[in-house]
Amino acid sequence: MRGYALQSSGINSTQFGRTTAPYLLILPSLFLTFWIIGYPLWDLVNMSTHAVTRFGQLKGFIGLANFAHLIAEPLFSGCLVRTLIWTISVVGGSVILSMPIALILNEKFAGRRIARVIIMLPWAVSLTMTGIVWRWAMDGQSGMVNATLFNLGVIRQPIAWLATAGTAFPVEIAIGILVSIPFSVTVFLGGLASLPNEIYEAARIDGATAWQCWRHLTLPLLRPFINIALVLNVIYVFNSFPLIWVMTQGDPANSTDIFVTWLYKLAFRYGKLDSAAALSLVMFVILLVFTITYAVLAMREESIEVRR
Amino acid sequence: MRKALGILLGTATMAFAIASAEAKTQLRVVVAYYSAATQEIFEGMAKDFSATHPDVDVKIEVVPWDNLEQRLTTDIAGGIAPDIAMIGTRWLVDFVKNDVAEPLDSYLTPEFKARFLENFLGPSTISGKLYGLPVAASARAMYYNKDLLAKAGIKDPPENWDTLVADAKKIKALGNDIYGFALQGKEIETDAYWYYSLWTHGGELIEGTKSGIASPAAVAALSLYRSLIDEGLTEPNPTGYNRQDIERLFKQGRIGMILTGPWLRGQIKTDAPNLNYGIAPIPAGTTKATYGVTDSMMLFKSSQQEKVAWQFLSEAAFSPKWRIEFTTKEGFLPVTKAEAEQPQFTNDPQLKAFTDMLPYAHFAPLIPNWEQIADTTIRALQKVYTGEAKPEAALKEAAGSIDSILQQQ
Amino acid sequence: MGLRISHPPERSYIKKSALYWLCLSPFVITTLFPFAVMISTAIKPRAEVLTFPPVWLAKHIRLQNFVDMWHAVGFGQALVNSALVSCTTTALCLLVAIPAAYATGRMQFRGKRIFRQFLLVTQMLSPVVLVLGIFRLMATLGLVDQLWALVLAYTAFNLAFAIWMLQAYFGTIPIELEEAARLDGASTFQRLRLILLPLTLPALGVTAIFVFLYCWNEFVLALTLLRSSQKFTLTLQIFSLVGGRYSVEWDHVMAATLLASAPVAVVFASLQRYLVRGLALGAIK
Repeated sequence: MRGYALQSSGINSTQFGRTTAPYLLILPSLFLTFWIIGYPLWDLVNMSTHAVTRFGQLKGFIGLANFAHLIAEPLFSGCLVRTLIWTISVVGGSVILSMPIALILNEKFAGRRIARVIIMLPWAVSLTMTGIVWRWAMDGQSGMVNATLFNLGVIRQPIAWLATAGTAFPVEIAIGILVSIPFSVTVFLGGLASLPNEIYEAARIDGATAWQCWRHLTLPLLRPFINIALVLNVIYVFNSFPLIWVMTQGDPANSTDIFVTWLYKLAFRYGKLDSAAALSLVMFVILLVFTITYAVLAMREESIEVRR
Repeated sequence: MRKALGILLGTATMAFAIASAEAKTQLRVVVAYYSAATQEIFEGMAKDFSATHPDVDVKIEVVPWDNLEQRLTTDIAGGIAPDIAMIGTRWLVDFVKNDVAEPLDSYLTPEFKARFLENFLGPSTISGKLYGLPVAASARAMYYNKDLLAKAGIKDPPENWDTLVADAKKIKALGNDIYGFALQGKEIETDAYWYYSLWTHGGELIEGTKSGIASPAAVAALSLYRSLIDEGLTEPNPTGYNRQDIERLFKQGRIGMILTGPWLRGQIKTDAPNLNYGIAPIPAGTTKATYGVTDSMMLFKSSQQEKVAWQFLSEAAFSPKWRIEFTTKEGFLPVTKAEAEQPQFTNDPQLKAFTDMLPYAHFAPLIPNWEQIADTTIRALQKVYTGEAKPEAALKEAAGSIDSILQQQ
Repeated sequence: MGLRISHPPERSYIKKSALYWLCLSPFVITTLFPFAVMISTAIKPRAEVLTFPPVWLAKHIRLQNFVDMWHAVGFGQALVNSALVSCTTTALCLLVAIPAAYATGRMQFRGKRIFRQFLLVTQMLSPVVLVLGIFRLMATLGLVDQLWALVLAYTAFNLAFAIWMLQAYFGTIPIELEEAARLDGASTFQRLRLILLPLTLPALGVTAIFVFLYCWNEFVLALTLLRSSQKFTLTLQIFSLVGGRYSVEWDHVMAATLLASAPVAVVFASLQRYLVRGLALGAIK
């Protein structure tokens, strides 16, 4: 390390650094996020506690009346349930499937590079376009899915996939899982690559089986990465708009509406910006509660691990 | 040194350019997308206008219909509304109610007003004041596949619903992938597709101050559609088909009859040139009816150059030259007398089928929150189409919701 | 999980490869299916796009579709716009995130926990929800219809992930390396540049990909903030082919989507090698 030819700065940098450096370092990011996200958030809070005209002009302060109206709406509970089903299914499915995929892609095998690129491909297409292409493929009459299934002899009649919620919602969930896999796989691959070799050598010398290596070495070490994948996925999927909107627009009869699609209708079709703002805050609070609970649980687990 | 000089020069040039650009008046016009020709047409108007008004720079923004409402909402909320916008006339009430639209009566000259066909000024007149100039008008009619009808042994297209049901049965018998009557069950204008039935059965959307969609006529109208689905006379699972989907089925030659507007003609010409089809009035029930739709050009109250904007409208956008260009290229019905006199319109038998229906046209009621009401109706229709609810119950529930929306004003 | 001495392909290697491919096959098929649909539709002549029953391979192949689409959509300009926005945002985001990640990863200061939580909170609000507020903000700044508005907004939305990712990687670098350098008199900035950054290249790579992709494919904000069609990004331009149209030209839509996804797929393929090497290097240390 003495090989560095460095110039030391005149001021005692450590002392200076300890007090103001961190704040200077985070200043740009704080500034950007505060304005671009904080200001609209404030706007939202304002709109949710006032009566608002169709075009965003605030009329009168009405406290929490918007929230009360919103929760009393018959569609609210349905959307809540569907949003939860959507989020849990997509995130659960994606994380559970991504782990074995990442494990496989981490091994050396013939054509691994091609396999990696293929699995990542859904990421290259925007969600809107993915929705459009699948909607076209799922068309009851001229869709390739029906045509292929028909040719394979799996079905005898074309299925109208997107006509009712019973088939449309599971299809949307399946596609949601498909597009979430690349992200989770990337995170897990990164985690797997950071695992040190020595502990595996040691374990193997001690005679540990592959399963034991997995359960007691890999899994705990991957926990921070699993956490990242879970939490971020939940947030993105909960708020995910394009897929469901493009495929069914939340219909028929609101049966595939989740919070965010209903929100869009409230804001831009019906012009009820106050209800939409209230709904946004409800969604925000739900996510906040989730992340705090999860963080608390995760921290408790980490401290258990550390103590071991 | 050279770099600094370069930057300085660059900034100076930019500043000069901005300054000189600011000397011109900028007119912002937001237009909806109808086809690939829309942008050209409006750019053409802009060019013509700038030729006679060199101090005005006209900026045309073309927006897809799906996003138009959202775009205008955000623009107005952000304080940068355009000067002129094209809107669905059914939205006009909300704009007027929120004091966004500028009444046009003070700008109208009798000569200008006389250019228009009477019917079309009505829908954009609210409380006696004119707020929008009609720009794209359509009435709806029934397209029928001549080959399929001939194969099924039907001589003339059905004139009423009973005959239609009988004809659809005959067409259905022609084959597995052939359907008698197209029924739209998804997305925008799903409600309109049902209004054809509603109005021809004598029903009305608004009766007095309450919703009319739970009336006996309405229930009969919806039960008719339900029975069509039950007997397999429509394409299967209508809730999976939006307007484009059923139009596509018709272009593929797999549907006998479909109710839609004049734009399908242009599409058939490019997508299915060999399709042998005809156009007839919408089948009557107890009465004849059709759906008249107009889009309007609206002037914004917040505009800083209302006079210039009006000049653009009266001299360019609504000049006979451009009206004819627009209506011909986009395939709509004439709204001005100049268009109606053009040979392509007077000698077109198909267009005649549309214009003949105009006297029976119903327009969307001019009430605020129309989108929400339409959505409520669509929800009820979809429940019935999927079999989740029965017509009477679904319509009653929807009418109740609509009544409370109506009372909110 | 580490270096292996390369053997000539043994039977067990081939068997293992086959097994792995078998396990991956359902995902490979469902991933490639939409691309197959896109290709199949993009090369069909207009009249064959809507034939029934649908066929995979059209009777005539019409590569001219791509050229037609390029002109009809203004693909070239949109491509440039998307590239500009994505690259600028990626650069800006990394520039801003690296110091912040260093601060939160290596330093202790009051308010660190709050800052991290604030970052997490910024992720929880979907752009759909914030669209109106962001628009008002940009309108006040006079940035509507400017690509810069998108750059700023995208950077803000991606900072949380970038900082999180980089900070995690900074955390895996032993503090001793830095301590030794500090004893040698290296300032914070020099330590950052000469030690930390080279070792976190994999994390930088992953973050860069993520941010780039976000920008390339983003829709709602672009739709709200951009006005003139010359400024449209690719996603916007393609969507305008589909949304609210009287008749959708599917051959153009699919051709456009293919061409829009191709650069990204290429970036993936090339960065893959780099990433693999980088990740492996990271593992050796």
